[in-house]
Amino acid sequence: MKKLIYVLLALVTIVTLPSCEKFLSVDPPYAQDAENFFQTPEDFDRALTGAYDLLQSSFISLWIGEIASDNAIAGGESVNDSKGLHDIDNMTHGGVNVELRNVFRWNYTGITRANYILENQDNIDFAGKAHILAEAKFLRAYYYFELVKFFGDVPLIIDKRIGIEEARNIARSPKAEVYAQIEADLIAAAAVLNPVAAQKGRATRGAAKSLLGKVYLYQNKFTEAAAILEEVIASGQYSLYQDYSTLFSVAAEGNPETIFDIEYTGLEGGSYGCLICLEGNAAVGFQGIRQYTGPVYGDGNSYNLPTAELYAAFSPIDPRRAATVLDIEAFIAAQPNPASITYAIGAGGHTGYYNNKYIKRQGEIGLPDNDLTSPVNYRVLRYADVLLMAAEANYQIGNASRATQLVNQIRQRAGIPGASVNNIEKVYLERRLELSGEGLRFFDLVRTGQAAQYIPGFVTGKHELFPIPQVEIDLAGGNWTQNPGY
Amino acid sequence: MIRKLVMALLCSIGVLQVYGQNLSGTVLNERSEAIPYVKITVKSNNKPFLADGKGFFQVSVTDLTNEVLIFSAMGYQKQEVPVAGKTNLTVVLQELSQDTKDVVVVGYGTSKTKELTGATSKVKGEDIEKMNMTRMDQALQGQVSGVTVSSNSGSPGGSSNIRIRGLSTFGDNDPLILVDGVVYDSEGLNALNPSDIKSINVLKDATAGIYGVRAANGVIIVETKNGAINRKPSIEYNGYYGIQQTARKLDLLTAEEYAVIKNEAFAFGGQAMPFANTNLGTGTNWQDSVFSSAPVQSHNLSLSGGTLNTRYSIGLGYFNQEGIVGADKANFGRYNARLNFSTDMSEKLKLNSVLLFSSDMRSTLPENGIGSVLYNTINAFPNDPVYTSPGTFSYMEEVSDIINPIAQMMNQYNWSTANKFVGKEEFIYEFNENLSFTNRFNYNYANVDSKVFSPLVWYGEGKYANTAINADLESPEVEIADSVFIERGAAVYEERSTFLDLTYESFLNYDKTWNDIHKVKGTLGVSVFERKGQSLNGIAFGIPNNSLDYADISANTAQGGFLNNVNSWEFKERLLSAFMRAEYAYKEKYLVSGILRRDGSSKFGPNSRWGLFPTISGGWLLSEEDFFKSKSIDYLKLRMSYGVSGNDQIPNFAYRALLNGEGVYVFDDLITQGVAIGRPANPDLKWETTRQFNVGIDLTWLKVLNFTTNYFIKNTNDLLFQPDVSALLGSYGPGGYPPIINAGDVSNKGWEFEVAYQSDRKNLLQTNLNFNFTTINNKVVSVPAGVQYIPGAAFSVGGDVATRFQEGYEIGYFFGYQTAGVFQTQEEIDNAAVVQEGAQPGDLIFVDQNGDGKINFSDDSDKTNLGSAIPDFTMGFAFNFKLHGFDLSGNVYAALGQEIIRNYERQQPYANQLAYVIDRWTGPGSTNEHPRLTTGPTNNNLFSDYFVEDGSFVRLRNLQFGYTVPSTVLRKIHVESLRIYVAANNLITLTRYMGFDPDLSSSNALSAGVDYGMYPQARSLMSGLQIKF
Repeated sequence: MKKLIYVLLALVTIVTLPSCEKFLSVDPPYAQDAENFFQTPEDFDRALTGAYDLLQSSFISLWIGEIASDNAIAGGESVNDSKGLHDIDNMTHGGVNVELRNVFRWNYTGITRANYILENQDNIDFAGKAHILAEAKFLRAYYYFELVKFFGDVPLIIDKRIGIEEARNIARSPKAEVYAQIEADLIAAAAVLNPVAAQKGRATRGAAKSLLGKVYLYQNKFTEAAAILEEVIASGQYSLYQDYSTLFSVAAEGNPETIFDIEYTGLEGGSYGCLICLEGNAAVGFQGIRQYTGPVYGDGNSYNLPTAELYAAFSPIDPRRAATVLDIEAFIAAQPNPASITYAIGAGGHTGYYNNKYIKRQGEIGLPDNDLTSPVNYRVLRYADVLLMAAEANYQIGNASRATQLVNQIRQRAGIPGASVNNIEKVYLERRLELSGEGLRFFDLVRTGQAAQYIPGFVTGKHELFPIPQVEIDLAGGNWTQNPGY
Repeated sequence: MIRKLVMALLCSIGVLQVYGQNLSGTVLNERSEAIPYVKITVKSNNKPFLADGKGFFQVSVTDLTNEVLIFSAMGYQKQEVPVAGKTNLTVVLQELSQDTKDVVVVGYGTSKTKELTGATSKVKGEDIEKMNMTRMDQALQGQVSGVTVSSNSGSPGGSSNIRIRGLSTFGDNDPLILVDGVVYDSEGLNALNPSDIKSINVLKDATAGIYGVRAANGVIIVETKNGAINRKPSIEYNGYYGIQQTARKLDLLTAEEYAVIKNEAFAFGGQAMPFANTNLGTGTNWQDSVFSSAPVQSHNLSLSGGTLNTRYSIGLGYFNQEGIVGADKANFGRYNARLNFSTDMSEKLKLNSVLLFSSDMRSTLPENGIGSVLYNTINAFPNDPVYTSPGTFSYMEEVSDIINPIAQMMNQYNWSTANKFVGKEEFIYEFNENLSFTNRFNYNYANVDSKVFSPLVWYGEGKYANTAINADLESPEVEIADSVFIERGAAVYEERSTFLDLTYESFLNYDKTWNDIHKVKGTLGVSVFERKGQSLNGIAFGIPNNSLDYADISANTAQGGFLNNVNSWEFKERLLSAFMRAEYAYKEKYLVSGILRRDGSSKFGPNSRWGLFPTISGGWLLSEEDFFKSKSIDYLKLRMSYGVSGNDQIPNFAYRALLNGEGVYVFDDLITQGVAIGRPANPDLKWETTRQFNVGIDLTWLKVLNFTTNYFIKNTNDLLFQPDVSALLGSYGPGGYPPIINAGDVSNKGWEFEVAYQSDRKNLLQTNLNFNFTTINNKVVSVPAGVQYIPGAAFSVGGDVATRFQEGYEIGYFFGYQTAGVFQTQEEIDNAAVVQEGAQPGDLIFVDQNGDGKINFSDDSDKTNLGSAIPDFTMGFAFNFKLHGFDLSGNVYAALGQEIIRNYERQQPYANQLAYVIDRWTGPGSTNEHPRLTTGPTNNNLFSDYFVEDGSFVRLRNLQFGYTVPSTVLRKIHVESLRIYVAANNLITLTRYMGFDPDLSSSNALSAGVDYGMYPQARSLMSGLQIKF
């Protein structure tokens, strides 16, 4: 009898336990949940800051844009130091490449964060919401443009987040659809964004239009490109900064040539463990001179080293040569006490040249690890680029005189004699001379069909696009076809 | 009124006694020796009293004819003796048989070894204490089969990994450790004094399932020492003092060898030779400067005893160990206080109370990683002195990534203290001899403070670790707003965390035997568990005078609090459980047992919060059968068990998406905090499930040899995993992580073997031998869909992933190129069947795994399995001899068949190297083993089996020689026992591994065999004293 009671007691206990469900619903103390956010304007604003954050991964695009081209080699401590960059340098890159995977991951993270805002855009209404949504669209367009430049067709996810199951069943959208979305986002953003940023670092109308111009140019939509870029020029808001040699310094940030900068600061320390977490510009320290002791410059990791070929592309009288490429031996020889200056050569390669636009300089340091925390902004869209894009678009639609006029603004600022643009090659060359070291060269060569001509090992029909990281194909259910040739 | 009545009753009993008749007697054992302090109860009035130390007793009894006395003493069978009119009694108590005394704690109850149906191993406290180890986990290494213990760090207070029956999951493989019912995690074991341990029971198979969702990695039940009833107070001191040294220094290049080798490497790389003069002698031996001998000491004082109704044991302990690297910069110290108190509050109600207090402090150096002190020591150049002038450290300017290790140690100020209260209040109500009801309340409060002081230091131009901007220790300036600069200065980081665990458990135990045939045992109960933790931390800049004296946040001088940074976190988790266990034994011959546990955990989402964990087990004592007629085999049991248990070791709230990612951008040149999702949600998240089958045999041969063997199959499914997910989920931003999901399966199969020999107690030479052997076959059965493998540790700096979690292989196996010697000539390269791009004479020959006729360096197709950190076999051997008061004991541990990745060599032109490079390739025919050295581009530094070494080792962990002074001598000075001893830990290690210490592991299963210059376990020589009054 007694036993029976206990057995009953047991059953009762086990059966009634689920009523203790409440005991187990523990909410995280003082933490915000993703599903009940976007209750106040501040919530939108803070989520937008999160979406901007991924812009700071730009160092990877800067490197690949240079290293993949004829402008630079990978460099570094050894050929295994960021091996993915060395593979790209040698045009031997394949579906397994850490750096390319980072590009794929980071840009989709940026897209997800922008989509998270747009997914919740109808939650509440408030003054200023339209501007926040416009900024989110600008950012989404920026990230998609990066992806489409690197990989061509990519899955298009709009205004939502997706889960693991959904990710396994999603297809790559044709490049044209991705471009259409980018254009739509930029047009929508340009209609709302302030002409002048309320805060330094925020996207503006000029930024959206300039980016749209670039997007058109990449699709060879020269008429549209010329039109929108002329609008930027006509706004009168921007002008060329006079001193090209200091254009890339912290001191020159926010000058009238700036259309859109990716903002960095040295105010937060960082470590190699998480480059994406940095608030400083990692490219700058990485591109510094290895174990350098001496004046002007700081120490760095000898990444992304300009080639002799780039150096030779400049006329000796072009001041942009010294501003773009640092000839280390010549520099040392010109110093008062050359023997006291030392530096090391990394086993990842050495050319004798360093990227003099983005390089660690004394006076532009950040909190430890100083190699990673440069405050130097990445000039993503500057007026010189707009002028040269406009020149190119105009030339292509038959307006060579306008092209000449625009190119000569650039040459004049640089301090070299003007020239007549009677050949598209001249615009291309001017682009190289003006914009080298800024991560544009490879993509310019590809979109203008010159890559095979300039890049050793470049295979036409293959290397125009980078391979989708194989693991991303697998994780997405294995249904995507790899880009041709890989 | 009632009180008066009770008083009256009590008085009347006294009166009755006074007028009773005297009865006296003696209590003896079977060898007619007196048993001291036996508890005797007069049955008629239920009044207990004690016999004296010589077994003599005297009592007044009213009814000599019908009275019955009940005798009870520890280790003896309880006996009821009718007085039957006698006035003098001689009572002989039967000693309990060994198998009755052998009680194993199995969770919410105990079991006699004979009745066990599960696979458990027991370690006695004395076997743990004897090891003279800092932590319980270290002392457990090699003690029992099926339990593999490997060291994470040999630094004082460094933890070990306890793996019960292999690695069963990608994530947390730590077993559930319960000390007097309180959960201790691996970190928390620092608080436990090994000398306080009475016994350790390891539940290895599915019968651990009584702990349900937390049992999948096995359960270790630790009980602390308690007193004994009827014992006079005894005071015991147990202490030792020892000196530790490193057991090994690496064979590095001397300055002259270094110069010659580097010249050659630079020449091969097409660069100028750096050393015009190679005649540099031996140069600096950095290891001699870094390693020092360091003291270790332990002192324990305990008081224990008991009265009629009460037992107590009080302990005080002090332990301190300095590091063989860094001395007091890598120090561990601990104070312990313990109170175990048990009392019979009434005949039926018992109280067991435990209170453990500990205060420990640990200081640490950067260890086991790139940039750790030993990593820098190995790579430091022998041609640079430690000091360039008195007080000025050398800078080793040629390499920015290597800093002067002595300077590094000097400038480390990194310590943490933990104060911990652990306790238990347990009330047991015994309805009758068959049924008891236990209610207990456990608590664990821990307060952990840590502090890191980071002074302004200059290690030399361009060094990664510099915090100052020049040798004058000037502070860097930071622009906090447009053209507003402030000095950063020295910094201090402080963190204070508190943790509180509360457990309430209530259960019934039933135990009854009918007619000596049917025995039924049952356990039924509930458990409620809550854990809370919170932390506040801050970093402050501008500590005055660059001085440790002001290393406190309050001392910061950063204007306006700029740069100073605070942070906090908080969590709460709960577990609600019901459990039952039913056991049935027929004639002590056939045993069956069933366990059922239901767990509800706040760690999982509403979709799968509750889990049910059943286990069934059985045993058959063949030696009890009539047909069993072996004369040599005294005992033979066959056991079998199968059951399901879970693992819930994931972070809290992993099932929901929180805005704990990092969304920070710079607007108006100021850092602006935004929000971002940290980890995407997974509302279906549940525990991982382990199904384990065990079959075992226990056998006793000629009463002196005990064998136990188990074979097990352990399959873990639905691994709690954070595998890579598609980039499209957007979880790879700053502060972002992939969601935790259930995916992947792992299997462990293995067998365990234990044999123990104990010589006959009558022998003059007492011999105890224990040997155990474990072999485990670990395999990843599946990985999450779409994932080819989970990448683990990287080789070298920024190098390729060298370890993997991949289907069909061991967890964390090594993946790289296989080599086949060295190319001797260009001709050999040209004629090779396989094209190896970039190969030059003297380069390693890689093996073409996919047979496409070339070595593919841009993908993984020519890489293969190069071994793993999981040993094929582990063995433990312990011996103990006693003769005429002398004793000699030792403990040997062997782990065989595991590999280690040599990852402490910085691939930098100027980094020092191990002396094996002297045998490098220098020309055709010079060697087919070591490649040429060059500073130029080479594939020789890619991860290959050239960097994988055999990590097998056999280690004499403890050797002890002691002398116990005869009691005849001691009695005169009122000492009960006195033993002095000398001991040595890690005296001998046999291994072919080149690094500091082959006993090398990591709590992360994928980094387990990667050696970054492991902080080695010390070799120590100790002398000790045990004295008891």
